[in-house]
Amino acid sequence: MKVLVVDDSKLARLSLIKVLKEFEPSAEIFEGENGAVAVELFKSERPRVVFLDLTMPVMDGYEALKIIMEIDPKAQVVVVSADIQTQAQEFVLQLGAKMMVPKPINSEKMLAVLQQLVF
Amino acid sequence: MQVSEFSEDHLDVLKELMNIAMGNATASIADLLQAFGTMHIPYISVSHMDGLKLFIEETIPSDPRYYVTKQLFGGEFGGEFIFIMTNESAFNLGNYLYDVSEPKTADILDAVIELTNILSATIISRLTEELNTKVQFFVPSTEVIDGNHLIGIDETLNYHKIIIVSTQMIFQNQNISGHIFILTKDEMIERLRALIDQKLEELYA
Repeated sequence: MKVLVVDDSKLARLSLIKVLKEFEPSAEIFEGENGAVAVELFKSERPRVVFLDLTMPVMDGYEALKIIMEIDPKAQVVVVSADIQTQAQEFVLQLGAKMMVPKPINSEKMLAVLQQLVF
Repeated sequence: MQVSEFSEDHLDVLKELMNIAMGNATASIADLLQAFGTMHIPYISVSHMDGLKLFIEETIPSDPRYYVTKQLFGGEFGGEFIFIMTNESAFNLGNYLYDVSEPKTADILDAVIELTNILSATIISRLTEELNTKVQFFVPSTEVIDGNHLIGIDETLNYHKIIIVSTQMIFQNQNISGHIFILTKDEMIERLRALIDQKLEELYA
């Protein structure tokens, strides 16, 4: 299973990949540090799941999410963000994200996320 | 300690933890204002005090009057939280919270202190929680400061080498924004580095 992890923080990417590997050890991981890289990797790799941060340089997560959903309306994008405002959550769900998870992501949250995705 | 020992990984960890802390703070302020706030990528750098002065001059919009709130915190990790609002933003905050067109200076001050209390408590508490430590807060003070004297002589004397953690809080529809600085120095920089090392060890374990 291909998984794209997008965050400008290396720490955030490493933490997420570490807990993801607990449940999906064979996952093929692709990493991006901003929304623009995320869009390019999504086009070339067509990952089954995208974990996407919102506050990033070059292109933020909102813009990347919008473009990814235009490319594939069935894309499974999980927004992982420090922005825990209700309006931010409503907005990303409106844009087509499957769900939004507050940072930092841990095993419990990851399990709940994976149980809601279609593989 | 050589401050240059702060690696890219250390700075990345600090930036990410600050991002998480700021997310919590933005949500708390959004509740207070019943509005939506925009989050910005935190800026982290190791600098001399001259660097802070220059950074503030380049970052903060020019205004003849600023509302500056400072709050010290201490413990295993300690430093100073500084929140700077332009006169216009502070006026808009008073106007918005008190629902009056011409808020009195005392009302504006009260509103700024209330906002800063929530901001500093949320940001620092969350930041230190993520670093697996605790801090104690000291009483904050708010002053209206002349635009030319944002960084006073006392700060220059108090700090030698510092870590600047800077970000913005913006509520665009209400025209309310502010700049947040967390300054820490000397032995606290070393403690912060040790706390981040623990975090990195956990991550790579």
